[in-house]
Amino acid sequence: MTTRRRRAIAVRAGLAAALTALAACDGPQSVLSPAGDDASQLTTLFWVMLVGAVVLWTAMNGFFFWITRIRTGEMSRKWAEALIIGGGILFPVVVLTALLSYGLTIMPDQRAPGDGLRVRITGEQWWWRVEYWSEGADAPVVSANELRLPAGLRSDIELTAARVIHSFWVPALGGKMDMFPGRVTETSLAPHTPGTYRGQCAEFCGLSHALMAFRAVVLPEDEFDAWLAREAEDSAAPPGPGRDVFMAEGCGACHTVRGTEAAGQVGPDLTHVGSRQSLAAGILPMTSDALVDWIADPEAFKPGVEMPGYDHLPQEDMMALARWLEGLK
Amino acid sequence: MTKTQPSDEREFAEEQSSLFKITLGPLAWALHFVASYAAAAVWCAKGPGGSILPLRLGIGAMTAVALGLILWVGWRAWQQWDFTDDWDYEHARARGEDRHEFLGHAAFLLAIVSFVGTCYTALPALYIGTCR
Repeated sequence: MTTRRRRAIAVRAGLAAALTALAACDGPQSVLSPAGDDASQLTTLFWVMLVGAVVLWTAMNGFFFWITRIRTGEMSRKWAEALIIGGGILFPVVVLTALLSYGLTIMPDQRAPGDGLRVRITGEQWWWRVEYWSEGADAPVVSANELRLPAGLRSDIELTAARVIHSFWVPALGGKMDMFPGRVTETSLAPHTPGTYRGQCAEFCGLSHALMAFRAVVLPEDEFDAWLAREAEDSAAPPGPGRDVFMAEGCGACHTVRGTEAAGQVGPDLTHVGSRQSLAAGILPMTSDALVDWIADPEAFKPGVEMPGYDHLPQEDMMALARWLEGLK
Repeated sequence: MTKTQPSDEREFAEEQSSLFKITLGPLAWALHFVASYAAAAVWCAKGPGGSILPLRLGIGAMTAVALGLILWVGWRAWQQWDFTDDWDYEHARARGEDRHEFLGHAAFLLAIVSFVGTCYTALPALYIGTCR
């Protein structure tokens, strides 16, 4: 192979690698394609820091090259002193003060008070308990494993955890915030672009930490209000074989389906589970096939999960149960 | 072991005070840091709520005291270094003057670092107006 040919292949491989890497900058879980005011601010901060770091790195290495290769003679004492005091003390103090001030002026915006809606999220092992408190509401609208927010409004997010630490992070919407058992931490999010984004637990919380995700769905304000009103209602939960299996197997001991006698608090609220975009905290699609697989053997998808497997159920019962759950909209 | 000469003992006794001075700048910085963060933590956890202006003013006052102390230490250290007397910043020889000026020189530089560190510790109180 000629050198030129080899070089051409290397260039092509490099370009392909760069394109692949750049493709990762887009997508539903990227800090570099912000869909909220907070994330936009953080993206700007990132670019400012990156450009500053590149400029400094280039300048330092250029200077080093100049002093060791180009101008190799002895330096006058005066020059050396000016370099140490100016470049070693004054310049870093000025640059660091400017960067620290810039960073600190951003921080209050990231925790600005919301416009009314308060969402309380509890980190469980390994899923998310989500409660929507509208302004002036006496009781929350309970949901799980999906966060819906109105676009163009700032919503307060209250975070806590059941047993171990977690961290709440929707990179496309804003910065992350830790969740601690017995403590409430606060943040707020102001999404500006409707769409579906991905959130992820960002603090190691046990065996299935990497499998603790969720969808964050940003809706126009009127659509959000309509959705929340629907979410607040009881489930239609039509009677039939699926519902019978659910009740007979004791699923209601752990799960709530409002509108039925199932009122368990251990696992995720399933009142409108079929209307969610994902199953098992962001890791499976919301389809009856995925529901069957999940219910038969949750441990296979989420090691350490508390939910037991129901692979002893006859196939027809399992299908009926999955279809019933899928229909809980 | 050789017996310590009386003149050495006198000199060491003199330098004890400047050894102490060397730690004063960083000590003021450290105490200011602990006091500022402790005050903010306690105020935000147990405080009356609402405006945190009293907390910010308190941190401002502590900062003024710490910076004043550091400036004083820096000035005394500068005098001890006595740089403008002989423009000497090498103190490598084993003699009293070198030891004396070295301690002043070191305390002066530490005062600069402490001054910058104390300012940076206080900056959040300047920019962040709530407990959130």
